[in-house]
Amino acid sequence: MSFLSPWSLLFALSLPLVVTFYLLKRKRVVRLVPSTVLWQRFLAENQASAPFQRLRNHWLMWLQLLLLLLLVLALARPFFFGNVGQGALQIVVLDASASMQATDESPNRFERARQEALNLVDGLKTGFGTSSQQMLVMVAGANAEVRQSATSEKAALRRAIQSAQVTDSPTRLAEALRVAATLTKDRADAEVHLFSDGAGVDLTEFERIDLPLVFHRVGQRNNNLGIVSLDVKANPENPAQRAVFASVNNFSGASVESLLELRLDGELIESKSITAGPTNTTPVVFVANQSQDGVFSVRLTQPDDLLADNEASVVSLLPEPVRVLLVSRGNRFLEKAIAAAGPNIEVVTVPDYTVASPEAAVVVLDDVAPTEWPGANLLAIHVANTNWFEGGIGTLEAPPIVDWKNTHQLLRFVSFDTVQVAQALEVRTPTWAVSLVDSPAAPLVIAGELGRQRIVWVGFDTLQSTWPLRISFPIFIANSIEWLNPASAAAERLTLRAGDPFRFPLAESLVPEGTVLSARVKMPGGDERTLPLDSRAREFVFGETGNRGRYEVTLGTNQLVFVANLLDAQESNLRPSEELSLGRRGTVAATPLQRANLEYWRWFALAGLVVMLGEWWWFHRRTA
Amino acid sequence: MSALLTPELLRRLEQVQMLAARRAKSSLKGERRSRARGLSVEFADHRNYVLGDDLRYLDWNLYGRLDRLFLKLYEEERELPVRIFLDASESMNFGSPPKFDFARQVAAAVGYVALCGFDRVSVNVFPETGPGPEQAHRAALRSIRGKKSSMSFFQSLTALTAAGAADFNAALQRGAMEARQAGVAIVLSDFLDPAGYEEGFKALIGRGFQTHAVQILAPEELDPTAFGDLRLVDSETGVEQEVTFGRYRLKAYQQTVANYIQRLREYCAGRGVRFFSVSSSTDLGDLLLKQLRASEVWG
Repeated sequence: MSFLSPWSLLFALSLPLVVTFYLLKRKRVVRLVPSTVLWQRFLAENQASAPFQRLRNHWLMWLQLLLLLLLVLALARPFFFGNVGQGALQIVVLDASASMQATDESPNRFERARQEALNLVDGLKTGFGTSSQQMLVMVAGANAEVRQSATSEKAALRRAIQSAQVTDSPTRLAEALRVAATLTKDRADAEVHLFSDGAGVDLTEFERIDLPLVFHRVGQRNNNLGIVSLDVKANPENPAQRAVFASVNNFSGASVESLLELRLDGELIESKSITAGPTNTTPVVFVANQSQDGVFSVRLTQPDDLLADNEASVVSLLPEPVRVLLVSRGNRFLEKAIAAAGPNIEVVTVPDYTVASPEAAVVVLDDVAPTEWPGANLLAIHVANTNWFEGGIGTLEAPPIVDWKNTHQLLRFVSFDTVQVAQALEVRTPTWAVSLVDSPAAPLVIAGELGRQRIVWVGFDTLQSTWPLRISFPIFIANSIEWLNPASAAAERLTLRAGDPFRFPLAESLVPEGTVLSARVKMPGGDERTLPLDSRAREFVFGETGNRGRYEVTLGTNQLVFVANLLDAQESNLRPSEELSLGRRGTVAATPLQRANLEYWRWFALAGLVVMLGEWWWFHRRTA
Repeated sequence: MSALLTPELLRRLEQVQMLAARRAKSSLKGERRSRARGLSVEFADHRNYVLGDDLRYLDWNLYGRLDRLFLKLYEEERELPVRIFLDASESMNFGSPPKFDFARQVAAAVGYVALCGFDRVSVNVFPETGPGPEQAHRAALRSIRGKKSSMSFFQSLTALTAAGAADFNAALQRGAMEARQAGVAIVLSDFLDPAGYEEGFKALIGRGFQTHAVQILAPEELDPTAFGDLRLVDSETGVEQEVTFGRYRLKAYQQTVANYIQRLREYCAGRGVRFFSVSSSTDLGDLLLKQLRASEVWG
């Protein structure tokens, strides 16, 4: 025989209490009466004169009925529907990404998920013995964070879950699940409870990991109109103006109309009416004059289930003239392409790069081994004698182009469909770079950041290919110059995705030797954070960027503004998924609430005890 | 004149007379009509003269008309024995005023009325053994006659005390047996004997007594004032009874008392016994001059 809750046997301690009641001697008052004849008759008549009598209203009767009712209820062992985990170790992962702010659940998806997680805590079996369960709480917001290490203490677990906050960042479930997978490794009795809407979740990496995942889905519908991309550039038609490119995606099944407002530093500049068809993306272009550096914000006025993607901002720095130093033995295509890359570009062509070469923001090495390595950002075409590549450099004859990453900024609008290459250098992609264009044997174009120097490397002589004749060539060159331009790189740093850390390189002179400078950050909500910076710091890093909006940083006398946005089409797509896909192999279906024995009879029993005590008190009070 | 009865009450009692439903059967002369023929002023009948009859009672007028000798007969007036059964048990000490005081007053009133009517009064006090000094008074109460005796009658009553346990039935049975002639019996008691009252009444009625019963209960018995967890001790038997009594049960108790009285009343009514139930706090004049008169105990 075993007991569901052995601790309840402690109630047996109340047995002596009842006995004590009966041990208490009823103090009877002795009275001398003429005769007990009448009293005997009175007792006889009132005790057994008839089997039944008229029901009279007695408080004692009601108390006894209540007591009996409570005991019967307790014996019936009532329970509620609830989430109950079976594993001895339960890992609760709360999705705190932006989509969890959707208000299709009341009050929103995150609160609903929080409530369900709390229910799961209620169902946790605690106490000693093998049936005791432990729980660990993780929150996957801007970062995956363990809020509470494994414990059986329900109060701590509830506190951890109550303190979790939803963010404006994209889903970072994979990180949290990776931690969970580590914790549950080699444990057959562990369970991972994921409370999420399943929106924007990519769990392909868990294809081969045996993750005991239980998916608790929240969310009901997909009624959202969101800004999914925002960029600001010089207006191609009039370089003096700025063009703001925005994409508005309607994820719902019905056509939606809305106003899209453009503001510069909070001041309304223009408002456009847009009509977004069902599941369509609507591009919107604004043209605005800008006299100084500022922040462009676009805002959708139509309210929907998710507010986080109805507004986005971008930091726009005024373009500055860029000097490009082309080190080449003569390449008309390249020269023209560079010159056409932008309105503020000044091209200087030299045959070799030496110490005496003029200062430039970007250096282009075209099939030339320079005497001196330039320190500026570099576009190196067919340059072999570097120390960038490990394992030597070989030669590839007529390598076919099989793949290129058109999602990378450098390859925007660039296609290699009709490009043939006669000969290329065979290298291995170094760790600091990514391969952008691939042949089966080796990468043909790589890009990356080495130290603070941005480098684009092209592994073949453009004149030994059909590329310069293709439209993709000048676009690639323009993209490269844009990416390599230090000014645009600085502007990029100021616009980030919510949850990504803000990094800002510091000039060495900013913090004098041996002193500590404090950096103040004004958050979107108005809160301020102060971070100390010492003289050895070369970079200012701020990680608390989970909320979208405008952040103002004060570094000594310097002021700078950066913005964080959601700008994530996957996250804005609120469609809750019934199942999570774990790569091609498996899926995890959303688990409905389990019918479980969350028993409440103890409370009824306790109430019964209280009623019994009350009854006892009442009985003695009225006969006293 | 007496502490038991006020002069005013005595004066009014002098005007009433015991009513007897039957003719007196006493062998002693009195003022009650009887079936016996004897000497009085009340003409009863004629009978033929026989030798030896007293010539003084010959009806000479009739002799003149009919020329035959007839003798005039007169009713003999005899006394009415009035027997009072007075409960002097311990239980009669209770009440405010005590039941025994009330009972003595009623006994005094009944005795006074009977003495005024030249009837013989005897008081049976039970339990029969009282304290030593009382014995003389108890003996004096066994037989009293004549109005002049009323003073000593009252004194003897006043000297009585109530104590001990009584056997109601035995007392009535003994009283019925020792009476030479039946008469009027008045029983003054609380009728709370555990053994009941039936045997006693049966003996009286069977002996031919015209019986009246007056039940005297204390106000506390009719309307108890003690509540809570009680251990009640019977004053006569010492029997203990545990009772948990609250105000909420008061009505039920009163109903029990009413039932008890009603049962006694019905028993008496079925046997020709006049029954009265009073509280010891009742106005004595009301009982004596209104209730007893209305019930034709006296008139």
